[in-house]
Amino acid sequence: MQYRTQARIRKVVLYAALTAAAVVVLFPFFWMVVTAFKEPGKEFTADVLPNPPTLENFRRVLTEYGFGRYFLNSVVVATVSAVFATLFAAFAGYVFAKKQFFMKEKLFAFLLGSLMIPGLMYVVPQFAVVNRLGWMNTYQAMIVPHLANVFGLFLMRQYMTTVPTELLEAARIDGAGEWQQFRRVMVPLSVPILATLFLLTFQFHWNNFLWQLIVVNVERLYTVPVGLALFKSAHEELYTLKMAGSCISVLPIAALFFFAQRYFIEGMTMGALKG
Amino acid sequence: MTTRGRDNLTAYAFLAPFLIIFAVFLAFPVAYSVFLAVHEPPADSFDVFANLRFVGLANFVRLFHDTKFWWSVLMTLYYAALIVPSGIAASLALALLLNNRLKAVRTYRSAFFMPYVLDMLVVGIVWTLIYSPHVGIVVRVLNAVGITAFSERGFLGTPATAMPAVVLTNVLKGAGFGMVLYLSAIQNIPASLHEAAEIDGAGAWQRFRSITLPLLKPITLFMVVVGTIGALNAFVDVYAMTSGGPNVDVGGKALGVTWVTGYYVFDTFYTQWRLGYAAAMSYVLLALAVVISLVNRRFLRSEV
Repeated sequence: MQYRTQARIRKVVLYAALTAAAVVVLFPFFWMVVTAFKEPGKEFTADVLPNPPTLENFRRVLTEYGFGRYFLNSVVVATVSAVFATLFAAFAGYVFAKKQFFMKEKLFAFLLGSLMIPGLMYVVPQFAVVNRLGWMNTYQAMIVPHLANVFGLFLMRQYMTTVPTELLEAARIDGAGEWQQFRRVMVPLSVPILATLFLLTFQFHWNNFLWQLIVVNVERLYTVPVGLALFKSAHEELYTLKMAGSCISVLPIAALFFFAQRYFIEGMTMGALKG
Repeated sequence: MTTRGRDNLTAYAFLAPFLIIFAVFLAFPVAYSVFLAVHEPPADSFDVFANLRFVGLANFVRLFHDTKFWWSVLMTLYYAALIVPSGIAASLALALLLNNRLKAVRTYRSAFFMPYVLDMLVVGIVWTLIYSPHVGIVVRVLNAVGITAFSERGFLGTPATAMPAVVLTNVLKGAGFGMVLYLSAIQNIPASLHEAAEIDGAGAWQRFRSITLPLLKPITLFMVVVGTIGALNAFVDVYAMTSGGPNVDVGGKALGVTWVTGYYVFDTFYTQWRLGYAAAMSYVLLALAVVISLVNRRFLRSEV
């Protein structure tokens, strides 16, 4: 009896601690949403909930301040990038998992080694390359330089190694060429990892603020984070609008995470746990 | 053609898109930044690449004498010294809380992880509002309990609290990542170890100290390395919240207490358009990253 009471108290304490932690971690997002629905000028009133709530902030950032356009740009950049980054990593991961070829091990070590270089190191010279190619203020400038995702290659190789080679052999004996073995056997068996990498690269490109800020300086091509950053410096005091823009910026990733959290969590921690 | 030749051809055909992008946009830039580091655009030209002037090692010499740069390295170390232990502590605490038989564990796990996938820029902007002076929610709550020290300048405007405030934002956003790593490592510890220790009379704290913590060491080391490299890359949070400020007076020079090297690189490159100098600076960053990973490798080898 006493043991049961103790266990119950322990449970209550645990739930209280977990809930407190969740409140602290999620509070900023709650506050962002609440403020986005407040009337301009009422952002600092003591109300915890907007009173009365208004959609005016969203209407204004989407129409007057161009966030509608920025949103479409972000969708295009993140989707196209994610498709190609996933595809290229799948091609490369496939041969590292299943083929023998000249310089294989050295090449893999070289590619993985690049992960140690701080990302900031690339920014200036990458900008120089994009500039020389005449790509400033284009979609390809935002997309192409980040299509070789070494971490993605690593994930692909890890996963594809576990697909039985016999299946590829069997397809080859049935007359399947190299491309068909990849397309008809490997791809259908790798759907979970392809989905994972698609989501991770989509998220990466959606949040790839610094790079997008650097290579684009015409409003027509702004993505949501770039638009938001420039809006922030131009209108420091328009808090409710800033929060509405922030909501628009995080909504797609939050929604993807809500529906596919397993892929996000496993994909993001896989490298650390298995590597 | 020989079989081997054909195999190589097939393999490299599959690799081609990845390797071409890698070569042009990752490998070449690292080499090219050597070239940039020994050049500088003339001060009067807007076309920063048209008239690059060879300056030899001048950028590095200047860097060596640049107080603002060494200060930024110091602030980066300060940032790392705050974020690494607090990030580890927060991640581990959440993991230990979740390592219990509770019904809602998965929901909590998702709630803690979610901020990690969201945009740092947005998180920074939201926290700027939360921290803001006079009317921000934190200042209001503190005022209500009689603490008014931060009302005038807010946490981000007060030199003593600016960096801890930036780091706290980051820790709350990122703790979910370390939490998942720690949680899966904790759950891999065989229950028999704890049972045996319990029979020998070890209390919960003792078991945590002498069983759990030592077995989590690989994750902790990983967190140290990732956290330190992250500090070298720190930029977006500072950009969103403090722009390197607030300034303090150090021997007659105004220096920002959140002026980390990542922000200095950005400022040199994007605000001042001094590409050569920014490239030189990023080489020092690379050197620091290499040193950190070498030290760590040493550490790993001797400890595990």
